[in-house]
Amino acid sequence: MIANLDGLNKAFESKIRLGIMSVLMANESVDFTTMKSLLELTDGNLASHARSLEELGYIRCEKKFIGRKPNTSYSITDLGRAAFSAHIQALASFINTQQ
Amino acid sequence: MENKEALNTLNDIKEMMERSSKFKAISGFSIIIIGILASLVSAYIYFFLGDYHINTPAKWRTTVIIAIALLVVAFTTVFVMSYLKAKRLNLRFTFDTTMRRLLLNFFIPMVAGGLLCIALLTQQHYGLVSSITLIFYGLALINCSHFSYHELRYLGYAELALGLIDCFLVDYALLTWFLGFGVLHIVFGIIFMLKYGRRK
Repeated sequence: MIANLDGLNKAFESKIRLGIMSVLMANESVDFTTMKSLLELTDGNLASHARSLEELGYIRCEKKFIGRKPNTSYSITDLGRAAFSAHIQALASFINTQQ
Repeated sequence: MENKEALNTLNDIKEMMERSSKFKAISGFSIIIIGILASLVSAYIYFFLGDYHINTPAKWRTTVIIAIALLVVAFTTVFVMSYLKAKRLNLRFTFDTTMRRLLLNFFIPMVAGGLLCIALLTQQHYGLVSSITLIFYGLALINCSHFSYHELRYLGYAELALGLIDCFLVDYALLTWFLGFGVLHIVFGIIFMLKYGRRK
């Protein structure tokens, strides 16, 4: 993804994607239902934003069956962790330059 | 982008990381209640058994039965009151990753300590049981504090220290239980409520 002048990552402009990344920074892996209730999203909303992050290679999506129930869980990739850290850095230095 | 907007975004990130990894619906008032319960039960055992020297198998049997009953009542109290707190403050209270992790990390040391106590009791080594309950309870609190209020670890340190002191004392089981499960819970509960209180 192209970084703009501030070094901010366009992928994290959406509040939902920012939320997904924040949750995955703090947790090894989070299942679909937990993520949905944490961010107060609908199924479709979470699925589409998660997919776009997955396509960027920032998160990993693992689908498996627990008994007969399908279970999707998400985790962050090394690339995603680096990109998100850079985004936070950019936000922090932006605030510093403004002061 | 505005300065304020950037600051808000950083705060959102921090809050979401915190909220997703920690279970924050433990009722402080329930901690005080279990402290009071434990104190009352200690007093009851003290008067029921005549003195605080729990030194015969029969006295131990009575004490263990009462202690197990107290444990069940205490867990139920914390669970129910935390559920009510979550409902009142609109916090999450579902059996999801956060709660599972908290329970798992709490109960691994608790179950290990519990089994060790059962082994000691059946082999009639009564002396160290009181300190082992406190030590493992302390370790359980320290262990699970990473997944909930981090202050829980201070209660854990206190229980652990008390348990270790108790190792070197003979025949003070009831007194250290009273201090560990009664007094420390009440004190911690009050500090906890002063800090987190009923604000919202």
